[in-house]
Amino acid sequence: MSEDIPIWRIKYLPKTLDEVYGRSDVKNKLKEYINSKNFPHLLFLGPEGIGKTTIARLFSQEFLGSFYEPNLKIVYADVPLTSEERTKARSEAHYSTNKIGRLAGMTITTPAFIQVQIKPFVRVKAMGDVPFKIVIVKNFETLSSDQQGFRRLMESFGSNCRMILISHNISGIIDPIKSRCQLVMIPPINVKEFEVLIKTVAKNEKIMIENGTEEILYKITKGKIAKAIDLLQIASINDNTVSVEKLYENSMVFHKDLIRSLLLMTLKGQFHKARELSRKIQSNYKYTVQELFILLYNELTKIPLGTYALANCINVIADADFRAIDGRDSDIQISNLLSKLCYYSEFL
Amino acid sequence: MSESSLNKMPWVEKYRPKSMSEMALPSAKLKGHKVDLSEELKKFIIIFFQEKKKINDENHKIKSFNRTHEEKEQKKLIKISPDKVAVLLEGPPGVGKTSIVYALANDLNLDVIETNASDVRTKKGLESKLNESIKSRGIMDFISQSKDKILLIDEIDGLYGVADKGAVPTILNIIDSTQFPIIMCSNEYKQNLQPLYNKIHKLEINPLSQDEVLRIAQRILIKEKITNLQEGMINSIIEKNHGDLRGVINDLQGISQGSSGKLDSELINSLNRDSTEEIFLIIRDLFQNVSTLKQARDLTNKSDVDYNFLYKWVNENIPSFIKLNSELAVAYDNLSIADEIFGRIQKTQNWSTLPYFYDLFAGGVSLSQKSRKENQGFRKVSFPRYISTGMFSLNANERLVVEKIKKKYEISEIEAIQDFLPFLRVLASVSRKQLKLVSDWLELDATEKKLLKIDS
Repeated sequence: MSEDIPIWRIKYLPKTLDEVYGRSDVKNKLKEYINSKNFPHLLFLGPEGIGKTTIARLFSQEFLGSFYEPNLKIVYADVPLTSEERTKARSEAHYSTNKIGRLAGMTITTPAFIQVQIKPFVRVKAMGDVPFKIVIVKNFETLSSDQQGFRRLMESFGSNCRMILISHNISGIIDPIKSRCQLVMIPPINVKEFEVLIKTVAKNEKIMIENGTEEILYKITKGKIAKAIDLLQIASINDNTVSVEKLYENSMVFHKDLIRSLLLMTLKGQFHKARELSRKIQSNYKYTVQELFILLYNELTKIPLGTYALANCINVIADADFRAIDGRDSDIQISNLLSKLCYYSEFL
Repeated sequence: MSESSLNKMPWVEKYRPKSMSEMALPSAKLKGHKVDLSEELKKFIIIFFQEKKKINDENHKIKSFNRTHEEKEQKKLIKISPDKVAVLLEGPPGVGKTSIVYALANDLNLDVIETNASDVRTKKGLESKLNESIKSRGIMDFISQSKDKILLIDEIDGLYGVADKGAVPTILNIIDSTQFPIIMCSNEYKQNLQPLYNKIHKLEINPLSQDEVLRIAQRILIKEKITNLQEGMINSIIEKNHGDLRGVINDLQGISQGSSGKLDSELINSLNRDSTEEIFLIIRDLFQNVSTLKQARDLTNKSDVDYNFLYKWVNENIPSFIKLNSELAVAYDNLSIADEIFGRIQKTQNWSTLPYFYDLFAGGVSLSQKSRKENQGFRKVSFPRYISTGMFSLNANERLVVEKIKKKYEISEIEAIQDFLPFLRVLASVSRKQLKLVSDWLELDATEKKLLKIDS
């Protein structure tokens, strides 16, 4: 591992499939695929942030060997297309060649995402000494209706290109796709392996870890390795020791200040300022409404309030959250919550 | 013109400025820089005629060269660049875009050939109206030294639909072949005019300031010998029109001629100009004048502003009218239910519940104010800045940083912003050394470094 990477989560990113921490069942299965030089379309399932993409990427790299660069593409389904890509997709929509019938002479458009991100790649033949290309599609469930477009694609271009679809929500994936893929469940790392991992990191970085801290770290981060390593780095940055208290102190540090000052502003009844700040937070961090509400809720429980007042505040947040499910304009829903907290603050 | 026929004229025409010196000059912007509108236009016309003369002479030489040489050696005629031929004035209605062209023409002793939205502006229509007068000067011109001309293509944002088919390419052709400068006027950006925007410069004209409008209005009132209009009423008329001088003059004429001697504020309030300013008026009315649910309903029914859009305006402007926290909470309660209902309508297509949506976002919000004393007077109505589309987008700076991260570390853009960048910020805020380490490693430059320090 090179010493000059200042960010630990990247420094300790596994470089080969063998280096992936734990999960030996999955690794063995994937290695069989590599040995037999063939695999069906794969669907990776597992909670967020536990390393599904890392495993998929390393597996593809090892499968394709030295030819992996031209033959591998990673696509993020949840990142919207840029305007240029959308224009391109529109311009590439083709006219039907049917001479009769409903589609005669009509413009046929395939979903823009497939048109731009997938099709150009899968159409071209694989380069070098590899059986086929590989496309990794992350957060596949966010494609919703565009998933239909994948059905034909997986069949007609299947011999030239295999797909690894990654998702954390199996109910978001339509049945025809599930039936075309081999399901691979990727569990989070288990506690024992996690402890070993943290200890190696600590040894490498020469930091002292108090007993039992690893377990707490596992609980806080829910087995998300990257998050855990981030937390470890921040907690240890000043004096090279990590204790349970320090971990708790730092676990919310990422957005703590802004969310807390937002909450304090509302509790002082300054609606106007609070709205400005919440817009700033939204534009900087791109939270969804629900994520922001949860952060506010977590922060609220740390403020010393009476039980009755706290219950009322939580009630307000829950109500706003409920409305935001159906609401169209997230700014209105956030403003609603802020204004109610501002009003409620007058009785505190 | 006789006295009686002058009296029948609309004041707008009667007092249309004859010269630049009489005009209330609005401020203008060219490519984001403030410019003096009259100077800029004068410069444009003078430079055009100089350039055109030069180019005509050159072309004359080329033509004679081509006559004496073989075909393959022939030179092409040179053209003047389109941004020196034509200029676009873009601004709200009634600030004097058309007037300034006429005043300028008067000052420089030019004729104006005008075409506006009332003409049929198809390819043929435009050509027959403009082409004969703009192509090379006729024989008669050599005999009787005739005036030079300006072409004014007014209201070009009104070019659309089948009726004006082919107009934009024709205007581009005219720009290529004209012997006279072209000035175009438009109220707002239009997608179908993009080919034009690409070729020519755009002067953005701001609304007139209230003082400027007041000065002109008073001058007209003195000339018309109208004395029974109080200062307050003039001001409220001007306020209603938001820098639209034409609107103000029309209102003044309407009031002073429509009522025999007796003037009241009711009449002034009844004057309602249907324009792009309508939404401002609706928002003000909604918060300041509506006192029953029926009034709120009438207001939303009367307006033809898209409700989809209107309720976002309401959201943006609630805090500038309602100051009390208790009233704010009620207002937002109603607005958020309205939003929820709207979301359900979109999902289930159950449009029969739309009336609830209307009542909640208009009446519900407006009537949440218990008293109207505090919110009277002029309040700033602002455009909804935050239009949440549910889509995620990065600004240019963030995009650069994310690109750099992606070079080192395979991560999606959303993860980078939600998860990784906040971590980097915390890390960078610990010490200067860490900031340097991180930014050196990512090869960030000074402006991008600022993104890491944004909260601290």
